[in-house]
This record gives sequence, structure tokens and C-alpha cells, in this order.
Amino acid sequence: MDMDLFLQLSANGLVLGMFYALSALGLTLVFGLMRVVNFAHGELYVVGGLIGWALTETLGLNFFVTLAIVVVVLGAAGYLIDRLLITWVRGQGEEPTILLTIGLSIFITNTALLIVGTTPQTVLSPFKSKPLFLGPVVLTQSRLFLVAICAALIVGAYLLIQRTGLGRAMRATFQDPMAAQLVGIRTSHIYGFTFALGAAFAGAAGMLLGSIYVVQASIGGVVSLKAFVVVILGGMGSFPGAIVGGLILGLAEALWGGYVNTGYVDAIGFGLVIVMLLVRPYGLFGKRIERA
Amino acid sequence: MQLCKRLKRGAFIGLLGLSAMATAASAEDTIKIGVIQPLTGSVAYNGTTDVNGSKLAADEINAKGGLLGKKIELVVEDGQCKPANSVNAAEKLIQRDKVVALSGAFCSSATLAVMPVAQNYKIPLITGVSSSAPLTEKGNQWFFRATETDALLAKSFAKILYGEIKLRKVAYIGVNDDFGRGAVAEFEKQMKDLGATTVMTEFFEHGTSDFYTLLTKLKASGADGVFVAAETQDGSIFVKQKAELGLPVKVFGVGSWATSDFIKLTGDASEGIYAAVPYAATMTTPKNKGFVEAYTARFKEAPGKYSTAGYNAISILAQAIARANSTDAEKIREALTKTDYEGPNGHFQFDAKGQASGFTVVLVQLTKGSPKVVDSATVEEH
Repeated sequence: MDMDLFLQLSANGLVLGMFYALSALGLTLVFGLMRVVNFAHGELYVVGGLIGWALTETLGLNFFVTLAIVVVVLGAAGYLIDRLLITWVRGQGEEPTILLTIGLSIFITNTALLIVGTTPQTVLSPFKSKPLFLGPVVLTQSRLFLVAICAALIVGAYLLIQRTGLGRAMRATFQDPMAAQLVGIRTSHIYGFTFALGAAFAGAAGMLLGSIYVVQASIGGVVSLKAFVVVILGGMGSFPGAIVGGLILGLAEALWGGYVNTGYVDAIGFGLVIVMLLVRPYGLFGKRIERA
Repeated sequence: MQLCKRLKRGAFIGLLGLSAMATAASAEDTIKIGVIQPLTGSVAYNGTTDVNGSKLAADEINAKGGLLGKKIELVVEDGQCKPANSVNAAEKLIQRDKVVALSGAFCSSATLAVMPVAQNYKIPLITGVSSSAPLTEKGNQWFFRATETDALLAKSFAKILYGEIKLRKVAYIGVNDDFGRGAVAEFEKQMKDLGATTVMTEFFEHGTSDFYTLLTKLKASGADGVFVAAETQDGSIFVKQKAELGLPVKVFGVGSWATSDFIKLTGDASEGIYAAVPYAATMTTPKNKGFVEAYTARFKEAPGKYSTAGYNAISILAQAIARANSTDAEKIREALTKTDYEGPNGHFQFDAKGQASGFTVVLVQLTKGSPKVVDSATVEEH
């Protein structure tokens, strides 16, 4: 029984860890590459979930069609947020951006509350939530499917940034905006695209996880906090880092909750962050670079 | 430029004057009651249903001609279920809006923080929600609780859990705040006295989305029943994930479990769950039918525990104001102590400490998407 318990707890932790990684992907892009401390990340996640709920539940649209719509809508919204808002505070240090994104998060939350209210909702998923027994470990089809999608998204994003012209332009812009401009990169578009990508990831995560948890207008803050933990643990801007950071957080929470108690599980993540900042402030996979 | 500035200032002063006139006018025409509920944050959904119930009560009174020849006006503030925000809301309502009484502030910790404010300004405060037992032991004469306490609920239902549902090895899970911890402590005590063993006690944070760890532990504990103190959103996820893991453990919940949203969110997973609630839309008390019809017509869903709490709080206050025949705070307080109110869930009166009794609490079982009343008990004065 003890071994079974350990296996089940570890499986729970790994699945939860992948979900944390998924919900942190958008943030690691925006925070890691653009150095925009995006406190509205959780709210973009919520908007993705709410659109997912509205289209699948009330309009009866197909799950994957809805996912594509969420990605496009959130991407467009992200691009506009960058071009219309963040551009005004770019290059003025971190505080103005922080204040701007906090303001944005309050605005989005309250707009969402005004439109859809406070009722918790779920996104209709085509996958079953019946138990699947793999030896002593119980999982569900919907969770396994989400883990697969999550892995695919992470690989896709990694390839986009490492292997495409757009990705190269993005990396150049964030290494040295002046030099990037001199070689002909339209950096203002690159900023917009990166934020759009981050927002699209946040929205996709919100919709995907909304199919197994609940979507609620006012849960953005919790999502942002956990995502920051993952990004700091894994290293800013690193996709492998986001996965490892997520898995560490998921496993630590599951094992601590399973063997000690669940009441203080949230303290674990923040404890890990404190240790990480003291020992390796750039995170597990972060590159140690000094920026001018 | 100068002209522009002057124009702006003129417009600003004009606006100020206008808004001052507007407040002066409305202060004449209405009796204001302050409502402090969480409208954002993790229990926002529950707070909103309380406000809905409050609005229904106010509208019904206004439709019948209002109070003392004036209309009731609810001034709603978001206390976020947090002590600091709720105190700010109370200060604003009392000082700026000049409310004659307060209803709030949902979470027991928030209500506890508002109580001394009400006492300072000598404004009656009524809660229909906060169930932490010590609140009515503070000797605060301005505070009234129109709902059950954890202790009263535990006393009423532990016997049924032990005797009829036959729980022997019990696990306790609660949300990590004074409501969850209070409810777990009271039920555990009563169940132990009856002879049940405790196999696990665990807590989780508001807004937790993944209960697999807790559920895995629950499975390993060998419990035959689990007691859960949680609100709609956390409780519904818990129940859904319990079904995903295929755990056969019997569930007994306190919190807002018998609401239509809970059943919609959980679907088949809620089948067979027991819940102890001070209100269920399927209750057969004389006043309930009309209340359910009016509420459903207005808000497109059946009323839940908190809708009724808000409705009762405002109705009790309104009756007290009518009985006092005045908006003087001391007279309203006097009248509140003589409350004799018939609500959707039974009769309410207050003891010397401001604790209500005489109303009904029910044990329901969720069957085929509707809360079936299994048993009911009247809360006695103690």
C-alpha cells in the first residue's frame, strides 16, 4: 500500500506539474524574454477559459475549433495590449510596467465580472473523466490528453523561438534592441508579437485547464502567483526551465501534501522560490547574463 | 490654456455641486441599508447570491410601499471577505452614505473585524452567513446573527451521520479558514462523543483546483465517510475529482452544497452526496414556495443558502425599522432584540447574545440533480 501511495502521489504531482508548466508558458515568454513583469497573466488565462466556456457550453462549438479561436483572439488582444499600452512605458524601468499590468489585471477582472458574473463555469471537453487504472495508479483520459497537448505546445513554442526567422528576430530584439533595429528588424512588431504569443499561451492554458477544473472570473491572481513560482524556479525565458520548474512544484506539493499535510501546501512553492533566489537567482535553466 | 483650465475647474465644481445635490435629495427620500459582501475574490460567487437575495427583499418591501413612507435603498460594497477591506467598506457606508444599519460581511473573520466598527458608531450589524461560534460571545450588543453556528449544526446532525448513515471511520476536510476549521472541529467533537474514530484531518486553501493529493490520502486512510466543509467552487471540484478517482467513500458536506450551480458543476458526480444546510430550495416551509418562485423569476436560478441569508437579513432589518417606527439606531437595535420573523427557512428570534434560533436546518441528499430533504431539525435556543 505504501508503494502504491507513493506512485499515485508522484503521478498526481507529475500531472499537476505539467499543468503548472502549461499555465506558466506565456509568462516565461513575456517575463523572461521581454522583461515585462506581467501581473495580468492570470487574467489573460481567465479570459481564455471564459471564452472557452462561452463557445463550448453556450454555443455548442467543437472543443478544438474553440481552442483555435481562443488562441487567435487572445493573440490579437495581446498584440493590441502591447502596441497600445505597454509601448508607452517601455524602457522606463520595471515599476511603470508593473503598475500598468496590475491596473490591466484589475480592469480585466472587473470587466469579466460585469459580463459573466461570479458563477464558476466549466469548459466542455470531448475527453472522458472516468477513472483509468494503470496498475495501482488512477488517472483520467482527460488528464492524459492535457499532458500530451501541454508537451506539444511546449515543443512548438521552443521550435518557434529557436528555429524560425521570427524567433531569431525575437531573440535578437531582446538581446540588443538597438543592434536589432540597425540590421532591419522592426522591433516594435517583435515586441507586439512576443506579447501576443504570451497572451495566446495564457488563454490556451486557461481554456485547457478550464475543462478539468473550473473557470471563474476572479481566480486570475492565484494563477499568476503560481506561474511566477514556476518561472523563477525554472529560469526566466527558458522552456525546459518552465517544464522542470512546473514538475518540481507539482511533485513538491503532492509529496508534501501526501506525507505531511495539505493545509500549508502553498507555502512550499514560495519556500522553494526563496531558496532558489538565495542559491541560484537566475533559476535552474536561466542563463547568467548581465544586462546593460 | 488658462481659459481651458478655468473652464475645466468650473465644470468640475459644477459636477461636485450636482452630485452633492443628488446625494442630499436621495438622503431625504430613502432609508439606506449598507450591505458588505465579497463581490470579488474566491467567494465572490457566494457573496453575489447573498446580494441578490438582499435585493429581492428590498424590492418586495418597496413594492409594498416601503418603510415609514420611504423606500429602502441598499448600498452594496465589496468587502472581499477580507477584514481590512470590510472595515473600510463599513467606515465608508457609515460615514459617507449614512446607512442606518449594516448587513455583512460574509466570512467570519471579516465580520469579526466589522463588529467593533458597528459598536463604535452605534449602528446595528446583522449577518446571515458568518457561522463561527465565538462571534456572538463577544458581548457586542449591536451584532445579530440570523443563521446557525457550526456548533448548532454539528449538534443537530452528528447523530444522523452516526446512527443512520452509519459512519464509523471518518475523515475531515475543511477549507483553511475559520469557517472550515470551526466546522471540522465541531463535527469531529460530536462524532467522537458518539464513538466514531477520526482517520484523517486535512485543510486546503480557498481556490484550490487540484484535490488529487488529498483524495489519494483519503483513499489510503480507509475512511468510510468524509466530512467536507467547503463552498460551491472548491466543493464541486472536490466532488468531481473524487468521482474521477472512483472513490466509494460517502461524502457529507457543509457550506453551499445544495445549490443549483453546485449540481450543474458536478453533474453525475454529486449523486448520493449528503449535505447539511440551513436552506434548500426544496424545503416545504410555508414561506418557501413564494420565495423560490420570486427569486427564480428574477435571477433565473433557484435560490441557495446565501440568497436566503441575504433575504432574511434585509427582511429582519426592515421589520425592526418598521417596529421601531424610526431610523434611530438605538431604537432599531431595541426592535431587533424583539425580532419575530417568519422566513423561507422558518422562524427567527434572537437571544440576549444576538444569536437566532427557531429556524430550520435540513439534511439533504442530492438525488438526480435535486436536493432531497432527508431530515430536518429546528435550531433551539441554547
